Amino acid sequence: MRPFTHYDAHAVEEALTLLKRYNGRAVLNAGGTDLLSALKGEYLLHYPEAIINIKTIPDLAYIREDGDMLRIGALARLSDVVNSPLLRKRYNALAEAAYSVATPQVRNMATLGGNLCQDIRCWYYRYPRHIGGPIGCLRKGNKACLAATGDNRYHAIMGGKGCFAVCPSDTAVALAALNGRIKIVGTRGERSVPVTDFFHPLGNELKRGEMVREIEVPRITGMVRQTFLKFTLRRPVDFAIVSVASVIAVPRGRCREARIALGAVGPAPVRATAAEEWLKGKPISEATAAEAATAALTGARPLRMNSYKVEIAKTLIKRALTS
Amino acid sequence: MGDKYRFIGKATPRRDATEIVTGGTRYLNDIQMPDMLYGKVLRSPHPHALIKRIDKHQALALPGVKAVLTWEDVPDWRGGTPRHTRVLDRKVRFVGDAVALVAAATEGIAQEALGLIAVEYEVLPAVFDMEEALKPDAPQLYEEYPGNRVTPGMPFFGLNSLTEIVMGDVEQGFGQADVITEGQFGYENLPNPLPPEPPGAIALWEEPNRVTVWVSNQASYMDKITLYHVMNRHVETRSIGGPCGGSFGSKFMSWQVQSYAALLSRATGKPVKLILTKEEHLAVFTMRPASRMRAKVGMKKDGTVTAVEGTWLVDTGYYSMTTQAQVAVGCGEVQIMVRCPNWALQPVIVCTNRNASGIVRGFGGQELKCMLIPLLSLAMEKLAIDPFEFLKKNYVKPGDGYVWRDGNWYTYRGVDYAAAMEKGARTFGWKEKWKGWLKPTAINGATRRGVGVGVHGNADIGEDASEAYVRLHPDGTAMLFSCVTEHGTGQRSNFIKMVAEVLQLPLESVSLAPADSLINPYEFGPAGSRGTYAIGAAAIRAAEDAKGKLFELLAPLLKTRPEELDTADGIVFVKGNPEQKIPWRAMSIDRTITGFGRFEPDYTLSNCMMSFVEVEVDTETGKVTLLRVVNATDVGQVIDPPGLAGQLNGCLGSGGIDSAIFEETVLDRSTGHILNANLIDYKWRTFPELPTIDNVVMETPFPSHRFHAVGVGEIATSPGPSAILMAISNAIGTWLHAYPATPERVLAALGTLSHGEKKRGGA
Amino acid sequence: MHGQAIEKNNMLHLTVNGKRYALEQGSRSDQVAPEHTLAYTLRETLGLTGTKVSCDEGACGACTVIMDGKTILSCMTLTIECDGNSITTIEGLSDPTTKKLDPLQQAFIDHTAFQCGFCTPGMIMSAKALLRENPAPTEEEVKEALAGNFCRCISHYHVVKAVMAASVKSR
Repeated sequence: MRPFTHYDAHAVEEALTLLKRYNGRAVLNAGGTDLLSALKGEYLLHYPEAIINIKTIPDLAYIREDGDMLRIGALARLSDVVNSPLLRKRYNALAEAAYSVATPQVRNMATLGGNLCQDIRCWYYRYPRHIGGPIGCLRKGNKACLAATGDNRYHAIMGGKGCFAVCPSDTAVALAALNGRIKIVGTRGERSVPVTDFFHPLGNELKRGEMVREIEVPRITGMVRQTFLKFTLRRPVDFAIVSVASVIAVPRGRCREARIALGAVGPAPVRATAAEEWLKGKPISEATAAEAATAALTGARPLRMNSYKVEIAKTLIKRALTS
Repeated sequence: MGDKYRFIGKATPRRDATEIVTGGTRYLNDIQMPDMLYGKVLRSPHPHALIKRIDKHQALALPGVKAVLTWEDVPDWRGGTPRHTRVLDRKVRFVGDAVALVAAATEGIAQEALGLIAVEYEVLPAVFDMEEALKPDAPQLYEEYPGNRVTPGMPFFGLNSLTEIVMGDVEQGFGQADVITEGQFGYENLPNPLPPEPPGAIALWEEPNRVTVWVSNQASYMDKITLYHVMNRHVETRSIGGPCGGSFGSKFMSWQVQSYAALLSRATGKPVKLILTKEEHLAVFTMRPASRMRAKVGMKKDGTVTAVEGTWLVDTGYYSMTTQAQVAVGCGEVQIMVRCPNWALQPVIVCTNRNASGIVRGFGGQELKCMLIPLLSLAMEKLAIDPFEFLKKNYVKPGDGYVWRDGNWYTYRGVDYAAAMEKGARTFGWKEKWKGWLKPTAINGATRRGVGVGVHGNADIGEDASEAYVRLHPDGTAMLFSCVTEHGTGQRSNFIKMVAEVLQLPLESVSLAPADSLINPYEFGPAGSRGTYAIGAAAIRAAEDAKGKLFELLAPLLKTRPEELDTADGIVFVKGNPEQKIPWRAMSIDRTITGFGRFEPDYTLSNCMMSFVEVEVDTETGKVTLLRVVNATDVGQVIDPPGLAGQLNGCLGSGGIDSAIFEETVLDRSTGHILNANLIDYKWRTFPELPTIDNVVMETPFPSHRFHAVGVGEIATSPGPSAILMAISNAIGTWLHAYPATPERVLAALGTLSHGEKKRGGA
Repeated sequence: MHGQAIEKNNMLHLTVNGKRYALEQGSRSDQVAPEHTLAYTLRETLGLTGTKVSCDEGACGACTVIMDGKTILSCMTLTIECDGNSITTIEGLSDPTTKKLDPLQQAFIDHTAFQCGFCTPGMIMSAKALLRENPAPTEEEVKEALAGNFCRCISHYHVVKAVMAASVKSR
């Protein structure tokens, strides 16, 4: 890795001050499992001048219910999310999603905040500098997107705008189905956005000088069934080709509420709102699940090489609902 | 069987076991030297371009940079067959081709210096498809290869090296056939053997023309030979091989990275270490050749193949060092698999603007069979022939023969493998699971199971020459000098076992010299499963020779003839009268006894492995899960049971079975970039996805050496891939012929993919 | 408050295999620079080359070490962020004075649970961390614990047997 200046931040405010001082030339480091790969590959437009370690900020790794909210600190490690008795019991879609990430070692290092903020996996975007130089794209200020016409087997089937990379975060998909929100802090204060709005086609909701502080999820009460399914070529290590998280309440055989989120299909986790609406009041069966799956994918516009993702997404929805 | 020998056939700890489990093993990158510099390579952004100008001043001005070399600075060292690829050239031929070399005090400085080298290119049109490359107006990679056709033939194999299979009369053969099938098949997904340790080298140049190279290679003596030719036959190379963190054939040809280190050492006078990154390993080091075949086969109702005719296109990437050898051996191996009197199979090796192909387990034969077995399957389906019966019937039998790599006909004198195949089939339950072509073994909701079978064998188990010394010491110990590195097969320990068995010494009394070309005689190295037979034979003969000399020396002291003597545990005694004995130290403490052994190539034996596989296909996602593998072989005599099991389990690694399921190198065919040059996007099998595996090993004595053994390790990857496609096709009830069977391909074969190409994108 | 770690104290404290190291921060070969990974520091600065680097991208597990009880990837960890931490590498498993091997290491030898051996230190560290937390795992648990360790020779089957054997012994 090329040299950089390194800071340990001991408070959120300190991290924000440093971010402000570096004005876009510093990046935060939590688990490091994504950032170090970017630094080694040197494919980013600008190599950061400074790295700000936020693992040194105390009390930002909590997992707790607080009134009507589940609150998780940005620095909670994925292995903590996986092993939290509270999450396993009441928010198991999130625990399952966290378990599906990468490998045991990575989960011991990576944080929930980092999993949400990680960079995209587009293999054109991440092409390493050392093998002939990085590949330009919209995210790097160029006009062309090689993925649009090239090998886009893993790219978006919906929601892409100029960039067709998909949101790589598994936990984001579970959080989307759990109506999770991401609390962002900056020097000018704090705001919270739904997980589905956090991801943009060319980046995310974080503005210069901001960071994720907390993930909040409305408290789950009553009988709901949660599922997280992730399709990959092999397990583990892989990022999702398609994933689905569902949270459904089916009292007395009729669906009262269904929340279905699709992952790795677009720049953000996609809530299948048409399917959710359609399911309300209906019994959950093979037939209704299949209908819901079809409804969820009607808007899909696959690229040259990824129409198979549409079929897989339908299958996962069907299975998530009927599992 | 096991009691026949003291060590052979018994599980004994690997000689290097303690070092391996304590982290003490010194792999190449673990070696440190005083004043050592670090090398890095600047790589081309273009798939095809001329270098117009290179400005290295800024890089040279960076503190810590000791040398920057470009094509203008280096001697005319060349590799390739024939010798044509310059170590640094004015022309670059793939994305990642070497443009300049840097040596610096640290890796970081070397890396930084790369960014300070300014290069001006004249970009040339590039070609990424082998058939496009053969067209008259295609971009030309080399003046030496008009039409991008690589010169056929491997000079190392002799003047008549095999370049095609032409025998009998194919017209007549097709006339005799009950069924003729034809089609185009490919094995083009470029699996990478991908050992964990990346390729690299450390070199120390001594003026005027001597270089010592520390290498990571399964066959370290051959680096000396290869570099001698690369460096214009006037540089004396000493190669020092150490533990090799996996090779699977690939590191056999590491001349480029070795030459880079040598050139940088020559320029700086310091030892230079140059280790590729994993990205470089995947994007610029060698991988399997890509193959495409258009062919026609004729078959009789009883499964007799009457004719094979076709063209085998081999894409070697931007150059070829060994592709001609792979074609030669592949042409030989296919005859071992299919007894057929009439052949007209014409290979064409083509250059394209991608990273080069090179040596990988399976060496030509795997590639060819991955295409030929699907074609033969079409004929078998029409005739309702069970593929297990077909492969068993057609595999080489004692008295059959084949034209091998040197163009000569050899008559096979090994065992009949039918018994091992039968035993494998019983273990797998083939008869119960085989329901006929394109019929699933079982259906459970959306999932379907299917079975497949494949076979491979290789007469290279006796290829090339080996030499060894065994030195006996008066203290009752012995040392074997055989230039073999440990690359995972356990062969260094096995050769110790063989010598200990011959000399009847405790294992700990036998050691093996370092794999240094300075002290060891010629050794082609463990490749093509030749270790057990060829290298073993040289070691055995050296031990026997030394023993004979020992008996000559000590016989007078025991007042008998040498033929009457035997030895065990460092004592020489009279056969039939063990009390009449004398210790080795009677040879005198100022003496050692050295025996010499040489193995001459023998192509009359072939190994064999048959793989049975069962897969489960999820018809709603296209996902293929490998459930079970049974490998069946006959090795004559097991040398080391866990070592052999490891080799056979290796069917799941190094670009084997999984090249049919998820392994591939993804090349952007418009720009020439390899897109998945990392261990996340290049797929490999993980612990949670291990299938049940059983290895059926028979021990029918072979007419090889005194232990009647033959090797089998190299071929473990080869029967699997075509067996997988067969199993998938049977599971889903329709043919799937593309490697790997991605979810997209499975769903397409099932006719599930409704979406055509719509408005691109997502919004 | 800015860059406190660097200004307050130029030393970095690591405990590796029970031995305490105080390393200066800087760019000399015996110092730790901000861009040094833990794998680099262990191998190049401290000479502990038992920890291997293969993919250098957090995917293969060859560089696995145990830090404060958990397996981590030393290639994806900045040394400068390990101040005060305790690290165990493959060199730290056998008894420092008697050199007696850890039962897990012995089980790897007894089962020939390696081929080329390059991935073995990482495998042993992953298995060691598992056995510390779960001394009697099932085969499935062993496979899950080793899920992030790449091996291309396919030593997996022998490794699972070795870990199971070591677990039985430790009960």
